[in-house]
Amino acid sequence: MNNTFIDFLNFIWAKFYEIGVWLIGLIKNMIVSLPYALNWLKDNQLDVGQIYCHAVRWLMPVLALLILVSVIRSLIRVRNPQERWGYLIHPELGEFPITHWETLIGRSRSCDITMNFAKISRVHCALIFDGKKKWRVHNLAENESFLINGKSAPAGGEIDTGDRITFGGTTFEFEMISNEENVLREKIRKKASSYATSPVFSMVILTIFQALTVSSLIINRAEHTVIIATSFALFAIVMWVYVLGNLVIGKKGFEPEILAFFLCSLCLAVTASSNPAGIYKQLIAIILGMVAFLALSWYLRDLKRVVRIRYTVAGLTVLLLAASLLLGTITNGASNWIYIGGVSLQPSEIAKVCFIFAGSASLERLFNKKNLFAFIIMSFLCFGILALMSDLGTAAIFFVTFLVIAYLRSGDYATLALIIGGALGALLMVMKLKPYIAARFSVWGHAWDNAAGAGYQQVRTMSAAASGGLIGVGSGEGWLHNVAAANTDLVFGMICEEWGLIIALLAVLSIASLSFFIVRVVKQGRSSYYVISACAAASLLVFQTMLNVFGSVDLFPLTGVTFPFVSCGGSSMLAAWGLLAFIKAADTRQGASFAVRKVKLRSMWQAPVGPVGVEADYDPENDFVDGDEDDEYHRERYANDGCEDYFNIKGRSGKYDASTEKANIDRDRQIKNRSGYSTTSHTISIDDVTGLLNKKNSKK
Amino acid sequence: MHNITKRTIITFLLALVLIGGTCLFVVKLVKHGDEWASFQANSHLFNDGVLSSGRILDVNGDFLAQASGNYWTYNDDSEIRKACMHTVGVADGKIATGAITRFSARLTGYNLITGAKHVGKDGINIYLTIDEDICKIAYQALGSYNGAVCIYNYETGEILCNVSKPTYDPAYPPTITDGDPAYDGVYLNRGLSSSFTPGSTFKLVTLAAALNEIKDVGNRTWNCPGTMQIGDQTITCTGTHGDIDIKTALNVSCNCVFAQIAVELGWKKMEKYANQVGLTTSYDINGIHTRPSSFVFKSKDDGDLGWAGVGQGKDLVNPISMMVYMGAIANGGRAAIPQLISKTTLLGGLQNSVYIKKKTDKLIDKPTAELITDYMKSNVTNTYGQSRFPGLDIYAKTGTAEVGGNSVSNSWFVGFIKNQGHPLAFAVYAEGGGSGSGTAATIASRVLQAAVA
Repeated sequence: MNNTFIDFLNFIWAKFYEIGVWLIGLIKNMIVSLPYALNWLKDNQLDVGQIYCHAVRWLMPVLALLILVSVIRSLIRVRNPQERWGYLIHPELGEFPITHWETLIGRSRSCDITMNFAKISRVHCALIFDGKKKWRVHNLAENESFLINGKSAPAGGEIDTGDRITFGGTTFEFEMISNEENVLREKIRKKASSYATSPVFSMVILTIFQALTVSSLIINRAEHTVIIATSFALFAIVMWVYVLGNLVIGKKGFEPEILAFFLCSLCLAVTASSNPAGIYKQLIAIILGMVAFLALSWYLRDLKRVVRIRYTVAGLTVLLLAASLLLGTITNGASNWIYIGGVSLQPSEIAKVCFIFAGSASLERLFNKKNLFAFIIMSFLCFGILALMSDLGTAAIFFVTFLVIAYLRSGDYATLALIIGGALGALLMVMKLKPYIAARFSVWGHAWDNAAGAGYQQVRTMSAAASGGLIGVGSGEGWLHNVAAANTDLVFGMICEEWGLIIALLAVLSIASLSFFIVRVVKQGRSSYYVISACAAASLLVFQTMLNVFGSVDLFPLTGVTFPFVSCGGSSMLAAWGLLAFIKAADTRQGASFAVRKVKLRSMWQAPVGPVGVEADYDPENDFVDGDEDDEYHRERYANDGCEDYFNIKGRSGKYDASTEKANIDRDRQIKNRSGYSTTSHTISIDDVTGLLNKKNSKK
Repeated sequence: MHNITKRTIITFLLALVLIGGTCLFVVKLVKHGDEWASFQANSHLFNDGVLSSGRILDVNGDFLAQASGNYWTYNDDSEIRKACMHTVGVADGKIATGAITRFSARLTGYNLITGAKHVGKDGINIYLTIDEDICKIAYQALGSYNGAVCIYNYETGEILCNVSKPTYDPAYPPTITDGDPAYDGVYLNRGLSSSFTPGSTFKLVTLAAALNEIKDVGNRTWNCPGTMQIGDQTITCTGTHGDIDIKTALNVSCNCVFAQIAVELGWKKMEKYANQVGLTTSYDINGIHTRPSSFVFKSKDDGDLGWAGVGQGKDLVNPISMMVYMGAIANGGRAAIPQLISKTTLLGGLQNSVYIKKKTDKLIDKPTAELITDYMKSNVTNTYGQSRFPGLDIYAKTGTAEVGGNSVSNSWFVGFIKNQGHPLAFAVYAEGGGSGSGTAATIASRVLQAAVA
């Protein structure tokens, strides 16, 4: 025993000795080589500042990757489990879960609840929840009867738990989920939703990134040290206040904002490099953008009030565009800017947000034709004004946004093809009428042959971009900022030059990943308004990035649009943050977004309806008996649905097919047994559910 | 909701387009980044439009040119400066194929990772393959003639000498007015970027075609009446040679016989062989592309084909491509592709690139190559006289290109030498030099003797 211990000590000592010798050797080597290193430095005339700048150059892409990889990964692979708002229950066919605020029922496979009976129309009826307590039904099959509790239903008739609705010859009992079930489901969803590993980690790295940016900027822009450092510091504070504030109120999803913060940091750096005196202005634009973002996100929480002011916003869209046409000064052939009290504004940027706000529609569009006409009239007016403004880039952005909204609303390819055809014709006409637009198209792809003329900006962008290599020449050390519009239209080139290709690609990927995120997350979208507006906003951001990036490097004609969040300028920054609000409002991951209101269902306890036939004198309060076969039913109902994604198994979906129903139930049981609901740490065990129910019942 | 969420694919697709386009940009950047960076307005690499870093040396490490701020300094010897001007280039970029212009990205140390700003900020040393002393001798040997002297190692591809005249001194650039006959085409490297009527040197191509395509060609004879009518054209010859075989026809460079052979082969085969031996190829010499030779064989008139077969008519041959063909004959059918950069080093002397040999396709069959080698040797022994090439195991063909009008013919001399350590192929072209066996052969002899010494 003693021997072993002494052997062990000896072993440790020997190891220490070895390590010590190695360290001394290392230090000796370093001391010996120091004169050589210093001599080399003397020969190569690198001062400390330069060495530092070189080191920072290599560090920056690494930091950017650290910030973004987990965020982007989380955005692209986001998991958002299904929500549950109620049930349609049939004594023999079982129950059909209602998973959205807007639910279409019918025979067609495109319906949310598919019922394959001959008597049911392709799209028979719609169930619509107002997000608070009211459910309404709309009969969409005009020749078929539709009954609520046996009486013919008015359009938009209200229903409540226990009401029986009859359509297509079948009677269902409607049940809203109880508050308890909702609370439980929220818990499950919260655990089953995916988030970036740690927003705080990304934020810390981002802050280091900003600090290093400031340090290398003040080497190159020494005379502006104070304002650059102050701006970045203020921005960092605002950023942290936002994130910590959200954490305090229990929100966990920051991925879109972290991307925006990263891009805005680049924007500040670009401003510091190209126009250091204007950095405060840019900072104010960012903060105003965030305020607009918060305000709009908050407003979007309530669908009812959103729908209420849509016509007003539609009018505002047209007015804004008209203002820039009438009051705007003409720059480069396009009238775009208006000046109010020394502040220049680009109303068309703000109009982008309004356009989406007004153009998106909830399912009510199906019952309200006025809505569609309003959209068409607004779009028509917008395009008319845009044509007169002859700002090709903005027009293209509006047009693509219009196409996305129109497609999401109608799904009609033929009409869209017709519209695109018409637009191309219009474009050709515009090119004939406006020679400077035609000139842009003629130089497209041949920028190098016109390096002194129409390709002037593109070739310089490409040359500067190539000069940056992968890691960039360092913030503030480029020359592209001397070229006109470098910090707006050609900002991609500036990022490539000063920050390197890696960071430039990350910036593009950030925007693209917002799109991927939205497409995944809106699968559980509550209302089509949120789905359409978020997709339109993401598409707009992506398309605008496309025009900016491709235009500046001669893959597209140069149209002079901004890179969202990165280009300098107040209006475009405001618009970018405004668009982000739509994305935020569609993020229904449980507890992710402050822009999504936490739904409080009626708090009184409602017993779930049993699987047995719906009797006329059914009373949910009294008919619920603890401990009988219903228990098994509850177990199944609580633990089984809503988290199919989470278990990576496609379980019972809303679609119904009588012949496969039994198989589905059987499979569900198998899944339950196999995946062991009580074994994984993320899940709520069956016992929890039963326990909760028992507690409730005993109270009663 | 279901149908709407399905339609969100459109947003997904848009994002894919963004990613795809960005990838396309990256591909273009990787492929053309050095060209983009070499833009004169790029102030990372250029100073007032002048390349701001880098040094150019010859194969032996002798100094040729160096950047010093917004101008360049050159070798002290004005004849070396003039001789190497087209290869080295000039600071203002007027010589499009010069090293200063074409290798500008490499000279500054540009690379894809650190871009235009790398640690060794004073640029890169480029060691060219040319030998400034040989170039100087070639420049002197050309004397008052305009033209080109191209010599390269057909086993390794290193271009030993590439001198073009007219030229000027890059250290003291003269004022050159458009149309000044003394500076006719002065900005063109005649070896790389020009093509000229090849005269009888082209008979080596017709010969290769005949040796491959005509049965029993060694035992056949053709009749040379001195002048003869083919199609609508009168073919004239240097003499009346009578019935001769193909080897003698080459020795005496008989127009009538080779015109008949070309007609017998037909335009398709002539075209095939002109392409196959690489004359119409544009060789990539470290990114500099040579001008391909051009021919018009297809004609209603057999006379045109006859003239084309003897290197007259509309034939235009690029000297470098002819030189490579000579290398291929010497090397058994395939030669090395010519190159101009021997190595590059960082300023401290640390080598950061190696010379990698590249080979051409098979230009001719090995037996054909051996036969032509034999014929070319007999040209020297029977016609030109070995005594004019002391110390050289030389294989060659002369050419006298008639350019019409009353101007003096242009003089060609192409071929190769076999020499341990100096496997050199050459093409010498002297404008207004008269007969090939005169001027061009004398120039070649002098330069080659210096090269093997």
